[in-house]
Amino acid sequence: MIPQKPHPNWKAGQNAGMTRRSFLRGSAVFASGLAALAASLSPLRELDDFPSVEQFAQKYYKELTPAEMAKVLKRIEDEVERQYGLRPHVKDLKPADGVEFVYALNLTRCVGCRKCVHACVAENNQSRTPEIQYIRVLRLPHGSLDLEKAEHDYHPESVPEKGYFYMPVQCQQCKNPPCVKVCPVHATWQETDGITVIDYDWCIGCRYCEAACPYWARRFNFAKPSVPKDRLNLNMAYLGNRPRPRGVMEKCHFCLQRTRAGRYPACVEVCPVGARKFGNILDPNSEVAYILRTKRVFIQLKEELGTSPRFFYYFDV
Amino acid sequence: MNDKPRVPGVLFILTLVFIVLTVSFSRRKWMEPEPLKAIALVDPDLVQPTTMRTSYVQLVRMQADLSDFDCYACHEKNKPPTLRFDASNNLVIPKEHLDIVMAHGQHNRNNNCFNCHDEQNLVLLQTRDGRQVKFEDSPRLCGSCHGPTYRDWEGGAHGRTGGYWKKEAGETKRQICVDCHNPHSPKIPPRTPLPPPHPLRQADQARMFQEFRQPEGVAQTSSLPYRGFPIRRCDQAVTTGRLEVGDAAGWKPALRSLGSPLAAAAAER
Amino acid sequence: MTTAIRNYLVFLARCARIAFVGDWRYYSWMGFLSVFCLLGLNAYARQFAHGLLVTGMSDEVSWGVYIANFTFLVGVAAAAVMMVIPVYVYNNEDLHDLVIFGELLAVAAILMCLAFVTVDLGRPDRFWHLIPGLGQFNFPASMLSWDVIVLNGYLLLNVHICGYLLYSRYHGRKPAKWFYIPFVFVAIVWAVSIHTVTAFLYVGLGGRPFWNSAIVGPRFLASAFTAGPALIILALQIIRHVTNYRITDRALLTLRSIVQVSMLINVFLLANEVFKEFYSGNLHVASSRYLYLGLQGRHALVPWIWTAIGFNLLAMVLLVLPVSRSLRWLNLTCVLCIVGIWIEKGMGLVIPGFIPTPLGAMLEYRPSLNETLVCFGIWAFGLLCYTIFLRMAVPILQGRLSKANENPDGWRSAVVSAEAWVKS
Repeated sequence: MIPQKPHPNWKAGQNAGMTRRSFLRGSAVFASGLAALAASLSPLRELDDFPSVEQFAQKYYKELTPAEMAKVLKRIEDEVERQYGLRPHVKDLKPADGVEFVYALNLTRCVGCRKCVHACVAENNQSRTPEIQYIRVLRLPHGSLDLEKAEHDYHPESVPEKGYFYMPVQCQQCKNPPCVKVCPVHATWQETDGITVIDYDWCIGCRYCEAACPYWARRFNFAKPSVPKDRLNLNMAYLGNRPRPRGVMEKCHFCLQRTRAGRYPACVEVCPVGARKFGNILDPNSEVAYILRTKRVFIQLKEELGTSPRFFYYFDV
Repeated sequence: MNDKPRVPGVLFILTLVFIVLTVSFSRRKWMEPEPLKAIALVDPDLVQPTTMRTSYVQLVRMQADLSDFDCYACHEKNKPPTLRFDASNNLVIPKEHLDIVMAHGQHNRNNNCFNCHDEQNLVLLQTRDGRQVKFEDSPRLCGSCHGPTYRDWEGGAHGRTGGYWKKEAGETKRQICVDCHNPHSPKIPPRTPLPPPHPLRQADQARMFQEFRQPEGVAQTSSLPYRGFPIRRCDQAVTTGRLEVGDAAGWKPALRSLGSPLAAAAAER
Repeated sequence: MTTAIRNYLVFLARCARIAFVGDWRYYSWMGFLSVFCLLGLNAYARQFAHGLLVTGMSDEVSWGVYIANFTFLVGVAAAAVMMVIPVYVYNNEDLHDLVIFGELLAVAAILMCLAFVTVDLGRPDRFWHLIPGLGQFNFPASMLSWDVIVLNGYLLLNVHICGYLLYSRYHGRKPAKWFYIPFVFVAIVWAVSIHTVTAFLYVGLGGRPFWNSAIVGPRFLASAFTAGPALIILALQIIRHVTNYRITDRALLTLRSIVQVSMLINVFLLANEVFKEFYSGNLHVASSRYLYLGLQGRHALVPWIWTAIGFNLLAMVLLVLPVSRSLRWLNLTCVLCIVGIWIEKGMGLVIPGFIPTPLGAMLEYRPSLNETLVCFGIWAFGLLCYTIFLRMAVPILQGRLSKANENPDGWRSAVVSAEAWVKS
């Protein structure tokens, strides 16, 4: 019942349906209901990363002017400094002309040591708890590429194990990416150098792209990512390894803070057996051009889905 | 059917319920999510892009102490060392070089030091047809037998590359054969892998560890760094794991005699 | 002009007032629902503060009960069309005065759908990124953008139709046909489209072979047209019981025949799916294997799906037999339909699509307590809305709340009049 003050012209006896008692009863329920409503929102006290007005109204990456982008980068640097006590250098690196990245991975050589996984984690400021890893190394039995036979959790005394081979999987940066197709807000798109990027400040966290990816390459921040202060990589890029907020997607971006500056990605550099190869396919002298030219057998995972990945698994013949 | 008298009762109960809810909601501990157990970090040393071993060429570049590599400190000039073979035609490694394990090819195919070393001039290497090769040019020696791999290495498909892919931006670092392969036992030794992935939920983590009986909180699975490090005798790299060689018994005492604690630890594996 | 606006505002105010007036059963029911709404709101506040970690979802199973309920409720909303078609296309008399209850259910269901999608978002504060013009709307490539359009459009359609009809009845005038009949026919097509678009959300993903099948769309519609009218049958009987609105048994039996045919089609499509998955023996059946038989020692969903299939088959048999013409058996059958299809659509469709992952990993999903409370909260909210809609609609349709008995004193006296109408 809505408690109402009696009309000034109300005379006793009129409108006998509402008595003082029923008024009090009604207002007691109403007031306690409102109190319960307010109290139910009390977990919001724990909220510490509510976006500022600036963050809320931030424009889409492709619509930011250079001046606005500079402000955004500065804001990110300030945030990181506030949180970690260290000031990073956040750049907005654009793709270069005449460059199209391709990745090749030698399945004859990979020993399954997982150094690439952890080098990537260190380079890209991925959350340690909860754990986010862009690369997943699969152990497959000899003779089969059936991913349903893959083992993710192998941890023997030593690798490689007899009877198995290892296949690391990460974002394939497909030429025809299903994740880009399904994102309702264009938060992810493919750039001219072939890297599929995510605007972390635009993503709404619907996880449709995660459902769409045939390679299980995309990760979601279920909680606020935590990176130890002493492990923070201060060389950051806006679309790359700058710290991500809670509730957005992330994935391998070919270490664009390195690759767009001309360096190899962290996974390529750390691989102890040289199984990973990376380069500009448009350069005929690059390693990847050599591989795609000379190797007779190379495969793209799940090629039949039409995603046209940029990732080629090759063998030493 | 006059239900009017029941309304006050219902409203009263409702008021009480709302008050109880208000109190419960306001308590901080009400259904607070439990904090996540911290996942053990991986030692940054394990993800350095250093090579698996430190070759002689790298030692030279680093200007390390090369006194152990001075062949003519012990050998006489112009006197080729003699090789000794046992009854089953296996090469007998002399006690001064016990840290070398000859495992270059199966079934003792490469049973002769001077298949690669030049017996007339110990500071050089030689191909099978007698051409001399400097230590810095050792890939040409390797390539003289391992053609396809050498061609792949030249093209970039074999071996490690680091640094810059864009030549204009910086230097591309290519490793040579011996930076990864021990020329006497070239097979890449097995290693302990880094920890497997942790699922998001504690319950799944517990189950994973229960099923596979891995101790929790394992930060790194080896106490030795993965790269080779220079040791005082020759270029036998000490790595983790076991070397798959025919008779491994011989090299353990040699390792222990080197006097370095890490070599001793490796000998204990 | 101002009189028209004033009249409309008075109408709205009176409707709002009447929602707070009722007998002890009404207060108990609304109180019960409010409690769950508050629990749900509290649980959501916790999720908003701590992140989706408080749910049971993970990178392996990234959609859970929220999207499962969303999928089911889109079907319920679409099922209003199963009342509209008999009345407006075939001029069925029995259902004529009852269509509005179906459409009001559709409105409540769509509100629940929108709520479920919002609570599933990682960044609900960025909802404005979805608004065309303001944000970046990936139409027509993304099926989610289609879903945003069709769901909101359907909501507006039904709000308009119901609102206009009720307001016309409030004024005691005949509604102008041109102002609602075209919308009704658009709504028929639109209802089919909302569920087809929701189905296409799943079908369009080539990387998930469990979903990437042409039968998913038809199955969605068949199960929606079974569960929706079943819900309406139950709702109509409740309305008949608590108000004295005239609802004939014949109307209920007409709806029964709709449920009957839809359930037969649903079971037939299920048989098709099972055959396709298991007969040829190809390797893409891991998800189906997990669902029906268990895989690699993981079998959490097996009892659920077999229960659902059991319920559906039993309901089908009961529907075909004349025994379900008796209301008691019909009600049991409806409950079996609703529960069976809820399990089938939620646990039988959404979750197995994620297990195993595209890379073959097996990680099961269990909704957390927090997640469950949010779901209960949203269901309670939807039922609350529907009850309020009915609380407003029934008196208007019966003529008890009309312009004629609007007191010149204004809306204040509506309180008195409302109290007087309390069923005693």
